[in-house]
Amino acid sequence: MKGPAVNHAFGSAPSGIMEPPRVVLPDHQLFARRAARLRTLSENTPGLGEFLAFIASVVQAQQQVLETREPAWVPAAGAFDAALEHGMPPLGAQALRRDIDWQQDLAALLDALELQAGERQRPLLASVRGLSVQALDDLAEQVLDADPGDSGSRGQMPLVAAALQVAWVRLTRALPRPPERPTGDVYALCPCCGSQPVASIVHVAPERNGVRYLHCAICATEWHLERVTCTICHKGGQLHYLGLEDGDQSAFVARAEACDHCHGYLKIVPREFDAEADPLADDLASLALDLMLDEAGQYTRSGYNPFLIAGA
Amino acid sequence: MSVRVSRRNFLKLGAAGLGASSMAMMGFAPDQALASVRHFKLSGATMTRNVCTYCSVGCGMLLYARGDGGANVIDNIYHVEGDPDHPVSRGSLCPRGAGVLDFIHSPSRVKYPEVREPNTNEWKRISWDEAFDRIARHMKDDRDRNFQTHDDQGRLVNRWMTTSMVAASACTNETAYLTQKITRALGILTLDNQARV
Repeated sequence: MKGPAVNHAFGSAPSGIMEPPRVVLPDHQLFARRAARLRTLSENTPGLGEFLAFIASVVQAQQQVLETREPAWVPAAGAFDAALEHGMPPLGAQALRRDIDWQQDLAALLDALELQAGERQRPLLASVRGLSVQALDDLAEQVLDADPGDSGSRGQMPLVAAALQVAWVRLTRALPRPPERPTGDVYALCPCCGSQPVASIVHVAPERNGVRYLHCAICATEWHLERVTCTICHKGGQLHYLGLEDGDQSAFVARAEACDHCHGYLKIVPREFDAEADPLADDLASLALDLMLDEAGQYTRSGYNPFLIAGA
Repeated sequence: MSVRVSRRNFLKLGAAGLGASSMAMMGFAPDQALASVRHFKLSGATMTRNVCTYCSVGCGMLLYARGDGGANVIDNIYHVEGDPDHPVSRGSLCPRGAGVLDFIHSPSRVKYPEVREPNTNEWKRISWDEAFDRIARHMKDDRDRNFQTHDDQGRLVNRWMTTSMVAASACTNETAYLTQKITRALGILTLDNQARV
């Protein structure tokens, strides 16, 4: 927004044309806000309270690790200039996976979680601690590849994903500027790390009011995609916004943006209905919507939430 | 450009997969989550891009309609907001544009041709064909009566001064071109385009 806001007795008026940023990197308080949102959701989401409360403590631990741990490897100044200049994702997740000491982030995360976890989750934390470097690396590859893996290790994957998220959110701070918005066939892949979006979000903020962004499942970068456009096949015109109602009330903030061209959907989180809503948290809390849509069978889910990986 | 939609885009999340999901493997039984679904009812809305018809600025709008976009969709429009992606208006609407919902649902909105015959105060609904016939008849009669081939000094003018045309504010370039062609061919000189409101 150009020019100063015009203030009057009832508030302030926009003074110019809205120019929303095309790509927004995550800020320092991302995990703290997300944890607060998850705690709120855990209190008012039937059937998922305990699960969301545990994920909230994982996300709170992410914030703690992000704030306190110094990584062993810090990218050199100018390391990402070439990628930024040529429109390549500078933090390509699969490419950087072996360079980054995310496994130390995982250890710190488990330490921070130790006091929070309930009796039922302690064996899980212990089992992750017991994994070899190679086994962890294999799990990281599956997480970054959105591969559901096998059921024996599936419970460990969200914790591995949590550590990867910390490592990549930290890395985004090393970028001198946000990358350009992706175009062409990759318009729905993260311009920072190349991962899939978890959901899309419609913001309420003066500089991007009503503007829709896709939210990266790994590094939390947000990039602009026009409203009423399918995130899977890029077509418009046949999009439906499906939600769940509890009586006359809307049950969740998240809706499914479903397309009649490709018969897929990605959740969309309009902050208009709740300014605290978070794409990853609200996607988890609206699991019932996925279950209803799966039962109806008309649309298939897209959107990767590494905190809830379903079996094949 | 064709967009390839691969199976990788789709990540199934249903009741069948929940038992072996990471949630279950982390020690959270999915039974309650599965049972909670029964409380809810699925509801849908359709969103459509449109351009405001009020004035020549042509602001972008998003229209929300209940249901699946089938018949009677106009009756179901329940919300209108500025399209933040529109290059002209970028999400802004003026007070009239923002209030367009009442215009859409207005009981006095004209949806079909009507005529009020001389010496009556009643509006009578007519078909589009009847409306075109009547307009053409009126134009032809008026043109036959008043067409001027020469002015009072004997110069050739070929003009029709007793009828004028006002074109709408939301005309496209193509509509404006056709408006010019038709009116000028008939000899109409008084033509205006209401490009400001």
